[in-house]
Amino acid sequence: MSARSNPPSRPRPTKRFLFQVGSDAGRAPTGAKRGIGRTVARNVGIPVLSLVLLMVLWQGIVVGFHIAPYIAPRPLQAFQAITGDWSTLWPLVLGTIRETVYGFAVGALLGLFLGVIMARVPFLQRMLYPVLVLSQAVPIIALAAPLVLILGFSVTPKVVIVAWIVFFPVTVNVLDGLSHVDQDLMNLAKVYGAPRWRAFLQIEIPASATSIFSGLKIGATYAVTGAIIGELAASDGSSLALYQEHANSNLNTAAVYGTTMLMTAIGISWFLLVVGTEVLLTPWQRRSVARKPLFRHRQSALTPVGAEN
Amino acid sequence: MIDNALLELRDVGKVFGDTVALSPTTLNIKEGSFVAIVGPSGCGKSTLFNVIAGLLTPDSGDVVLADQRVTGATGHVGYMLQKDLLVPWRTVEDNITMAARLTRRVTANDRSEARRIATQYGLGDFLRHYPSALSGGMRQRVAFMRTLVTHQQLLLLDEPFGALDAQTRLEMQQWLLQVWRDTGRTVLFITHDVDESIFLSDRILVMSPRPGRIVADFENPLGRPRDISTLTDPDFNELKSRIMGLLHGKTQ
Ligand SMILES: Nc1ncnc2c1ncn2[C@@H]1O[C@H](COP(=O)(O)OP(=O)(O)OP(=O)(O)O)[C@@H](O)[C@H]1O
Ligand SMILES: [Mg+2]
Repeated sequence: MSARSNPPSRPRPTKRFLFQVGSDAGRAPTGAKRGIGRTVARNVGIPVLSLVLLMVLWQGIVVGFHIAPYIAPRPLQAFQAITGDWSTLWPLVLGTIRETVYGFAVGALLGLFLGVIMARVPFLQRMLYPVLVLSQAVPIIALAAPLVLILGFSVTPKVVIVAWIVFFPVTVNVLDGLSHVDQDLMNLAKVYGAPRWRAFLQIEIPASATSIFSGLKIGATYAVTGAIIGELAASDGSSLALYQEHANSNLNTAAVYGTTMLMTAIGISWFLLVVGTEVLLTPWQRRSVARKPLFRHRQSALTPVGAEN
Repeated sequence: MIDNALLELRDVGKVFGDTVALSPTTLNIKEGSFVAIVGPSGCGKSTLFNVIAGLLTPDSGDVVLADQRVTGATGHVGYMLQKDLLVPWRTVEDNITMAARLTRRVTANDRSEARRIATQYGLGDFLRHYPSALSGGMRQRVAFMRTLVTHQQLLLLDEPFGALDAQTRLEMQQWLLQVWRDTGRTVLFITHDVDESIFLSDRILVMSPRPGRIVADFENPLGRPRDISTLTDPDFNELKSRIMGLLHGKTQ
């Protein structure tokens, strides 16, 4: 029987969370003559188009209903408001990015750690689960005041707030992923004589990749919100959130909208970065044939196939 | 002890609560032989394998492999199930080297062996494919190659072709016989399919439930090599009717 007579079946389309970034490539059958241009057009073009349409809608509503600029500006006015004051805004944007990234990193690592130990030790799972749920029931705003008292007006309270929001979806999804790993596969690893840690790294982690990234993506969308809440509640002087409050009290509505756009842009960029990382790290979800590896197989490539024995 | 016995079970028994999954069983498996195990669902076939593989510790008795007592220990057999258990995040080549990856560093030798074996048995063009791009039969072949490169002498195959269609199954059976002849391994093969058990094996063990036990042990008189005509040999039919009689409760 010739293996080639059996055309490879298409990879099953994978279920994705939120944006469909990159998933279209996975539906292309092996060797299909589909231009890279079309893939890019689908994966980047359509989301960009939908953003443009959103702007058009915004413009249409403001113009169509004769809304006064101090109630709601037009998109271009909001845009000009931020470009006009860019030298003031840029350091504030950097500050918010820093809080978001640090907080996300801390939250993601904590979430991973908690997810792993809770999946491993049922006792800890029963102990910690209610505490974790409780932590999310606390209104975040109510958390800010004591955090400032303890940590002061530094970047730390904002990082803590972001991490507080981010770790939860990560923990829940990691736990979920790890507890749904095929036990037959784990048994097979045992039959091979695999040590526990190798089975963890080689099977449990990659098998949970989709869940882990779901948690990270949810966390990523909330991270900027957390940073802004932190800035509102625990800022002594300059921050993006305070800049917006200031613009609001000056009735500079265009700047208020512009700042919101900036915050949203930070959030979306961070989310896209996480999605991009997932796309890079989980090629099997989109491809039916692996790319040539960059680092491996170098030395073995010197040995012709079949020459050894 | 019997000469040439690669595997010996000495009064091995396993009970789950009230279910005697496997009543104390004594068994010798000759090195290099192909032994089929048939029996109705729930008669303890998989339990027997899990005990041999070390996934289950028997309540009584000992498992002896190549004169070593291995009761309750893992890492000494090749094992394959009806579910191929290929990992979707590894290519065909990397799935074949999975056992090495799970126990130590994968070497260039491991990889070139995987490539050689895949090329030799018809999957050379699919080394860089992910399992999602393979058909069911190809996936089972990859799973079997992964089992082969563990270099374990004893291979436990638990209904490996159970999920395949009749046509693919027949191709896989012939393929398996070819690989078995080439590699000289010892195979224990569970199946529900009496035809398959006779077509493949040197010896057939028939099991029966409540309590799970071996009720008959047939030497297979059919010569090798075997092909489609084997399936219509008078010896084949005679053996088949005896096994069917046992499985369906008729006394001989
Ligand atoms: N982990 C377990 N806990 C409790 N009972 C079990 C367990 N594993 C198997 N059993 C019981 O032991 C008996 C034998 O099971 P086993 O899986 O060995 O059967 P089998 O012959 O492989 O069946 P099948 O052909 O359906 O695969 C069954 O009655 C089953 O319910
Ligand atoms: Mg079974």
